[in-house]
Amino acid sequence: MAKGILVDIPKCIGCESCSVACKLWNELEWDPQEKTKTATDRAKEPNNGLWPEEWTSINRYDLQKNGSSVGRYVKTQCMHCEEPACVSACFSKAIQKLPQGPVVYDQKLCVGCRYCMMACPFDILRYEWKKAIPGVRKCQMCPTRVANNMETACTSVCPTGAITFGDRDQLLAEAKKRIKGNGYIDRVFGEKEAGGTSWLYISDTPFDKMRFRTDVTTKPLPSYTEGYMKMTPFIGGAWATILAGLYIFNNKNKEPLE
Amino acid sequence: MASKAEQAKRLSRRSFLKFVGGASVVGVSLNLTGCGEPLTADKAVGGDGWMPTQYNAPGNWPTNVRGRVPIDPANPAIIRDDQKCILCGQCIEVCEKIQSVYGNYELPIKNEIVCVNCGQCTQWCPSGAITERDDTDKVYKAIADPNITVIVQTAPASRIGLGEEFGMPVGTNVQGKQVAALRKLGFDVVFDTNFTADLTIMEEGTELVKRVKGELKKPIPQLTSCCTGWVKFVEYFYPDLIPNLSSAKSPQQMEGTLMKTYYAEKKNVDPKKIFSVAIMPCTAKKFESQRPEMVSARKALKDSNVSPDVDVVLTTRELARMIKRAGINFAALPDDQYDQLMGSGTGAGAIFGTTGGVMEAAARSAYYLITGQQPPAALWDLTPVRGMQGVKEAAVNIPGVGNVKVAVISGLANARIVMDQIRSGNAPWVFIEVMACPGGCEYGGGQPRASSPPSDEVRNRRAASLYNIDAKAKLRNSHDNPQIKQVYADFLTAPMSEKAEELLHTNYISRAAEFVAKKSDSQLY
Repeated sequence: MAKGILVDIPKCIGCESCSVACKLWNELEWDPQEKTKTATDRAKEPNNGLWPEEWTSINRYDLQKNGSSVGRYVKTQCMHCEEPACVSACFSKAIQKLPQGPVVYDQKLCVGCRYCMMACPFDILRYEWKKAIPGVRKCQMCPTRVANNMETACTSVCPTGAITFGDRDQLLAEAKKRIKGNGYIDRVFGEKEAGGTSWLYISDTPFDKMRFRTDVTTKPLPSYTEGYMKMTPFIGGAWATILAGLYIFNNKNKEPLE
Repeated sequence: MASKAEQAKRLSRRSFLKFVGGASVVGVSLNLTGCGEPLTADKAVGGDGWMPTQYNAPGNWPTNVRGRVPIDPANPAIIRDDQKCILCGQCIEVCEKIQSVYGNYELPIKNEIVCVNCGQCTQWCPSGAITERDDTDKVYKAIADPNITVIVQTAPASRIGLGEEFGMPVGTNVQGKQVAALRKLGFDVVFDTNFTADLTIMEEGTELVKRVKGELKKPIPQLTSCCTGWVKFVEYFYPDLIPNLSSAKSPQQMEGTLMKTYYAEKKNVDPKKIFSVAIMPCTAKKFESQRPEMVSARKALKDSNVSPDVDVVLTTRELARMIKRAGINFAALPDDQYDQLMGSGTGAGAIFGTTGGVMEAAARSAYYLITGQQPPAALWDLTPVRGMQGVKEAAVNIPGVGNVKVAVISGLANARIVMDQIRSGNAPWVFIEVMACPGGCEYGGGQPRASSPPSDEVRNRRAASLYNIDAKAKLRNSHDNPQIKQVYADFLTAPMSEKAEELLHTNYISRAAEFVAKKSDSQLY
């Protein structure tokens, strides 16, 4: 059963336990400069505060709701698409989707082409430009924990239940239950976006005001190229056959070299 | 031999390259068609670190102690270093269970992160991730400026905590050494907040008497207002009880105001050139000094260049850091005396630093204010209000009034119980003292960490030290303090006079609009 995580944005109080848990569990380095930034600062950054060593970040948006100003915290990280574009773009199979849900990355297989970064519709992946042997970095959704029937590091520490771990199907049903009434916006972000994602977001303030990519296609991104990309092996095979045939034909009547 | 040589001849360079090229094409084709080993969880990057064990159980059972309190990056009192946080959950435990702040508002939050700045989380944090906001730089800057008179006041409780930072036993009274250290650090004038603690008693006591007699149209019971965390708690959660709060300022703010008015006038110092520092056992005092209404000197002098009444608040821990940084051998310092005018307090002022102390001090002076006679010795040892219980009750017999019921509370969760009782209209008390931190200021958010988490054993030892100061004091009633008599005679005329109201009293604002209070049937957390 594929796992997922539900983010209930109105329940987040901005304590940032989740980003600390991510740092602890994944042994990510602390950048003295990043450390001093606030959630409001990060919301204004072009990359939402995601860096090679910041796999998740909390962004604060000051919005207007029913005439009064409200602050909303949004957790950003890899959405873990059901059919990830990065995986389809990776020709060395360094990024793959596990059956439990996480989209994971093995640096040993990576050749550093960064096609995955181009392919990502949410601009999540980060490259270690400063390293001699760089890799691509992003949230892995704690695959070893998930594989051992534990919840992810970030969800395990959330004090308010703003992020919940569970089976994606059940969470989707729960999300739909929660958005009925209570002033929520009638949309589960991640249900269909990019063909569905493991992370699901519900909110009482407009998603586009919180820098969600609301115009993203609902079609799975790999399906755009699947039609002709799946022909690649056959075309390759056909070419090999044609060329081999030509070779044999050309050499059929030739005298062997002395 | 010959056949082998023949074989070697047949594998030419050309055919070798053909073989390698062909193998590569086959390999790439297989890869593209999806063959090859699938990635497994343990090959992925990350997951090499650790988490506290409570989070590492299979299944998603939410642990009872998890996460941490939210702290606004702009919080004037406390800051957190994320790098030191281990997500042990202690801060959330004290904030929710002891102080009843976290978890007592509905989600979603509005704009503000509800915090009373009490700083108990700094005491509970085992890794030192949460600490007071360091304001020492501002003080160093002021000290370095020869044109500025830097005046410092020391809270009743800082003297019984500071020594612990220098290896002395818990509760050691280092009043004289503290003064000497402050002078060595370059503070120009050293005053004692015990003086304004006495002054607070005069104002607050007079207000109480007026309430009881009906001269002041304000409700009974009167609630103390010297604890900033408590005041903010009322403003958040019990705005309807704001009229019950005494309008008297806290001793810190009274002292700061008088530094820039009374002291400036007496010593002929330009109030604009006075920089007022407070050494407090408290982080909330940092917030209090920044409250927009705490600019009485500026208003009274009608000079917008006068800085706020208290410019900077340093916690006891910050003072200890300054002393250590200056390389002062604290234990070897000779005892020094406070500067006079506002530098002496009575035993009643000294016990302001512990739970029950304000009540005991108030009882002594209220007795005097009502009867005109000195209080009996029983009021010098009001045992029912001493000790570390969260809610204490006592009855003080005052001739002409009868038995006056009072209550003493420390810890904000305990305050909720009593406040709810007042709300429902069955509160038998006339006067209620509340201190936000369990045990009072002596184990406030800015005091040295003497046990982790704070324990009653340490609290009792520190309180005993304060009661010892009181027992040994020559003067034990606030109204007997000669400097109090002097300030009223020379400057303020009388308690709650027009001038005293202007300088020593304040008003409060409801913060109820900043959040939605938790509904009783809420299942949100």
